[in-house]
Amino acid sequence: MKLIYAPLLFLCAASAAVSAQAADEALPAAETILDRFIEVTGGKTAYEKRKTEVVTGAVEFAAAGIKGSVVSYAEEPSKYYSALDIPGVGKVEMGVNNGVAWEMSALMGARIKTGEERNQALREARMNAPYHWRELYSKADTAGVETVNGDECFRVVLTPKEGKPETMFFSKKSGLMRKTAMVASSPMGDVPAEILADDYKDFGGLLAPAKTTQKAAGQEFTVTVESVKVNEAIPPDRFAMPDEVKALLKK
Amino acid sequence: MRAWGALCAALAISLTLCAQPDAAQRQLALDSFERVWTTIRDTHWEKNPAGLDWQAIHDEFRPKVAKAANMDEARVAIREMLARLHQTHFALFPATVYDAVREDSAGPGAPGIDLRILDKQAVVTGVDPGSGAERAGVRPGWAIQNVRGMDLSPAIRALTSDPSISDLSLTRAVLARLSGPVGAKVSVAFLDGSNRRVSLDLELAEPRGAPAEFGNLPVQHVWFETKRIEKTAYIRFNLFLDVTRVIDGFSKAIADCRACDGLVIDLRGNPGGLGAMAMGIAGFLVDKPGLRLGTMYMRTATLNFVINPRRPSFAGPVAILIDAESASTSEIFAGGLKDLARARVFGTRSAAAALPSLIERLPNGDGFQHAIANYISEGGQSLEGSGVSPDVEVKLTRQALLAGRDPVLEAALDWIRKGPR
Repeated sequence: MKLIYAPLLFLCAASAAVSAQAADEALPAAETILDRFIEVTGGKTAYEKRKTEVVTGAVEFAAAGIKGSVVSYAEEPSKYYSALDIPGVGKVEMGVNNGVAWEMSALMGARIKTGEERNQALREARMNAPYHWRELYSKADTAGVETVNGDECFRVVLTPKEGKPETMFFSKKSGLMRKTAMVASSPMGDVPAEILADDYKDFGGLLAPAKTTQKAAGQEFTVTVESVKVNEAIPPDRFAMPDEVKALLKK
Repeated sequence: MRAWGALCAALAISLTLCAQPDAAQRQLALDSFERVWTTIRDTHWEKNPAGLDWQAIHDEFRPKVAKAANMDEARVAIREMLARLHQTHFALFPATVYDAVREDSAGPGAPGIDLRILDKQAVVTGVDPGSGAERAGVRPGWAIQNVRGMDLSPAIRALTSDPSISDLSLTRAVLARLSGPVGAKVSVAFLDGSNRRVSLDLELAEPRGAPAEFGNLPVQHVWFETKRIEKTAYIRFNLFLDVTRVIDGFSKAIADCRACDGLVIDLRGNPGGLGAMAMGIAGFLVDKPGLRLGTMYMRTATLNFVINPRRPSFAGPVAILIDAESASTSEIFAGGLKDLARARVFGTRSAAAALPSLIERLPNGDGFQHAIANYISEGGQSLEGSGVSPDVEVKLTRQALLAGRDPVLEAALDWIRKGPR
């Protein structure tokens, strides 16, 4: 399921580093760790069965007292649309279709994502991204062992075909991904961000975190999944670009 | 403090007992102090906040909070600690501020007056249409002498000579004195246009605009107005909040004014709000991508205030009006567009209070505003402490207001009509 972070930079921004521990043991290959994640979250067949996904959730910046809602639509192979709604700020829409990544909001207007921000949006938009990690990343290395919220994890550095590396942390015990550390790109700048994944639940045959805690630019917010519908037909116009975005493409 | 008072009345216990916090209250005060101190330690953009030994500050002020006789005294100690930073946007809002707004029990009613401190007098600069003040015949230029039986002149004279008291806080203090429960009346004595004393009872009503909530910010009333002055568009709004209202209003005003000879954006009295709205509104005024209003420096990240060009756009001359009460996002907006040579700024120096901040709730229910970053305008200067200096300095005077004139607006219109060079 998709996570949202970069568009919230206008409300927030930086993250904390987790202390590294030296790994004395022989580390498993990153490929083994990533493939185990596919297995423990439902297996190859379950991912292959999933063609569409509609997720609703609640967003909360607890410290700042800001609450909102989010809905996202995804369809194989890489169609994506999401709308984040925060009272007082309005709606922030994002989408990916035919290789175009865009964003539109009452606050900032419409724009086409380019460069590293586009690369990240395209990776996020890839339906069943964990299953397609070989397609999205050209290199994966196990870099060590670290503890995330008390859970000893393998630290895996994934280098995308285009863009900056991302680091993912997989539980040694359960095989589940506990954290992602990355540099989120946006026009406002590159901001270190980390996303903690908690409360894995079965959503239509695949395990996914029901709660993610995202830290960036000194602020923290949570996204709590409220519902997931899988393999329901999504009207094609759901992924259509708004007229304001189409106008930018014509320029 | 109203909450304590109500509690005491309900329990019918003595004031002496009320003044002694129980163990739970004392712990709440200490927990709140620790939250404030720790937040600044962890989020201030300088590792040693404002060059201070922050641990020593903790060791000095924690005992004061521990000894406080009540929550108000604890707040005094915490505010004293915040004052050591000598930076804006570090503040406490007592829990009762939130209670008052939510329960509508006291405070939110306003007579519909805008005012400024001019020549050491509180002078009416605007009267809201349909307000109690308008119905009572109050006019711009009238000087407020007395509110609820208190003469303002001695206090204003004393406070204006104190450099640590800003015009912004002074005006806010007078406006607070004018406020009260909706439906109640406030007695005010004015000097009218002939310098005759006029005593009026002004009815208090909901403030102008629509209530807007954003996170832990207490409810604010937001209004947006636009009009045409001959061929020039004029836009004014009181806060950078309520995105839909303000940005939609701005967008419509621009769309309706493609043939205008210029645009005046009046930010006088606008204390700021959501910082990103400065970028969002500036997007209607630039065509070139990649321009920045400035840069926000946090301890662990740097964020550029980038302008995203958007439609409809306005390519004509833009004048921005500011005064000593244009603060924060108003300064980011005005300073950035001035630095980009996209707007000419008229009026007087802004409030010099431009640090991006957040508001959190403390364990005792208070709101705690804390700056999280330094902000440097695109021209390279920090707006905090220095503010935005206008391209054309024009001061508002009581005489001009009494004559129905607005010299700041007149200067901006004159510049637009002559054709900017």
